[in-house]
Amino acid sequence: MTEIKLKLKKLPKFPLEAESITPDNFAGKTLDAIKKLPLYHGNENTVIGDYFSVSGKSGNVNNTKIVIDGDLSNVKRIGEQMSGGEIIINGNVGMHVGNNMSGGKILVNGNADDWAGAMLQGGELEIIGDAGHYVGAAYRGNWQGMKNGVIKVKGKVGNESMLWARSSKPANRWPMLYCGSAGPFLGTHNHGGTIVVEGDCDRCAGADQARGIIVIKGKVSRKLPSFKRIGEVKEIDLPNGEKITGKFIEYSGDHSVSKESTGKLYIAA
Amino acid sequence: MVERKLRTISDVICPFCGTLCDDLEVDVDIKEETIVEIRNGCQIGTKKFFSSNPSGHRYTKPRIKENDSFKEVSWDEAFDKAAEILISAKRPLLYGFSSTECEAQSKGVELAELLGGILDNTASVCHGPSLLAIQDVGAPMATLGDFKNRADLVIFWGSNPVHAHPRHLGRYSEFVRGYFRKDGRNDRFIVVVDPRNTHTAQIADLFIQIKPSEDYELLNAIRAMVRGVELDEKEISGVPMEKIKELVNILKTCNFGVIFFGMGLTQSLAHHRNIDAAISLVRELNDHTKFLLMPMRGHYNVTGANIVFAWNTGYAYSIDFSKGYPRYNPGEFSSVDLLMRDEIDASLIVASDPASNFPAASVKNLFKHPLISIEPHETPTSANADINFPAAIAGIECEGTAYRMDSVPIRLRKVKDAPGKCLSDKEILEKLIEKIKEKKGE
Repeated sequence: MTEIKLKLKKLPKFPLEAESITPDNFAGKTLDAIKKLPLYHGNENTVIGDYFSVSGKSGNVNNTKIVIDGDLSNVKRIGEQMSGGEIIINGNVGMHVGNNMSGGKILVNGNADDWAGAMLQGGELEIIGDAGHYVGAAYRGNWQGMKNGVIKVKGKVGNESMLWARSSKPANRWPMLYCGSAGPFLGTHNHGGTIVVEGDCDRCAGADQARGIIVIKGKVSRKLPSFKRIGEVKEIDLPNGEKITGKFIEYSGDHSVSKESTGKLYIAA
Repeated sequence: MVERKLRTISDVICPFCGTLCDDLEVDVDIKEETIVEIRNGCQIGTKKFFSSNPSGHRYTKPRIKENDSFKEVSWDEAFDKAAEILISAKRPLLYGFSSTECEAQSKGVELAELLGGILDNTASVCHGPSLLAIQDVGAPMATLGDFKNRADLVIFWGSNPVHAHPRHLGRYSEFVRGYFRKDGRNDRFIVVVDPRNTHTAQIADLFIQIKPSEDYELLNAIRAMVRGVELDEKEISGVPMEKIKELVNILKTCNFGVIFFGMGLTQSLAHHRNIDAAISLVRELNDHTKFLLMPMRGHYNVTGANIVFAWNTGYAYSIDFSKGYPRYNPGEFSSVDLLMRDEIDASLIVASDPASNFPAASVKNLFKHPLISIEPHETPTSANADINFPAAIAGIECEGTAYRMDSVPIRLRKVKDAPGKCLSDKEILEKLIEKIKEKKGE
């Protein structure tokens, strides 16, 4: 794998829109060409070279690894629509990291801001710290959000994560989210997404869930009244073949969407 | 006693709240060009008309702040300074627009595009969540006349029209006689859902007092019960199960129901998810009877701002032009979020007073950067601005179009001349655009 190193030279005053930082855009380009890729800073057009020092060498898309150092908490859209390769971010990162990506891997060694992995189509996004709101969510007005791929967040995810997630059995697409703990309205309008929460979860998990599985290994602050208790289970099968064992209470729902629901919510007993 | 010569104007539109009452009568003193009497208006609407009279609070000339004090300048000088501030800004914010007419709003869109700035209206702190939910699940709405003539069940959820929209009850929703509701109030069943025993709740047939910010759970339970699901709980959001069953029965057996929802639903913790659930409930109730809903819009032309922005850019509010084309993302480009993150470097506030309504931390960041205000009166925002443009009040001192809360456009009327050198919001924005184009060499 060929590696390209980016280092932030100065902190941007306004959010820096860096959708050009992807293996797809860097592949097969010389360092000079990479330095000339566009970045948007407020309403002025700048280039990568203005804000980052660039070193290393690029290969083809799947062979390119981008390592970014510095405080990127005000740098948005890194890894947008990437289809392969790898990005490693050493530090916090701004909004929309890895949104719409369809392949490859992003590792964030820090916290991520809102809309991390929004509308993910495939690939893997791993966040070592906390993530903001709308992790793996659909953008405003979209009825189909995350369709495939895996998001792993060690810490907390914010409000409305995995909004409008949608799986497909014929196409074998199973969107997955693993997180340490979760904010309110986790998996709202879920249409087949799978969510595993290691810790506690705030109110209204699985609101408007039509189908899908939500497993909460900790406590919930307030379960929705429209989920109906089925019984206790000791083993849960996830669609990717994984098994979770432990003592869980199984609920079906959300019954506000339909009287008979295949959606499942498991809360630790 | 001095005899006054009066000019009476009838069928005046009231530019205060989203109800846009269109039956006011205004007496204007011809010699002084001041308003002396309003008939038919509610208390707040009447106050707005009287506030247009010259007073210590009313601006009459453009002003620029220098060394912490204001000096009156010519229009040219003020435009020149404002254009310089806006051209040199990399992330200017244009906010307000809900209390002015549509032509001025349209000029605001043009200016935002020209500057590559961020354009937002007051919906972002009031009914923005309704717009988000409407994008997700649609909105079954009608015009207010439909509710007046047909509705036999009226629900006020998180809204208090007795104080916020005083004539709504008398004109459309409660006391008024409709074509199919000949006996007025007696032909309607009124339900109020609110955490507080408001004055609207006190004139309701059924008052459901819920715990604050737990509306979502109640809506969710009602939706499941409308579908015939037996729930396990004994009490939801502080409301006993029997009472919810009674409500569900009322909802399913009415002939024509409507939910009027306000900021109690849009600005409590679940925000747009509350509206999402309310709209879904209305959709499901249409399997049993006829049911609709309507947001109780506050500013008289905030609906117009959403409509004008949407037909120009495709989006109703929170629009970013920094890349040259419009992008939309409330939470990222909405004013309060931008200011909390301190992401702007200049602002133009049109016909609005964010300093009184935004969180203190965001107002501090607003004042840190150059601030231009287009505003008829002294407000906390305009008093802290660097440039004041005195505006004529739309609907009182100049004509224009406004959209009622049910999206019906109504032509506003002019009843008197503006004092001093005031120009209309539209003229000010037009001249500012001209100046900026001239300076940019376009």
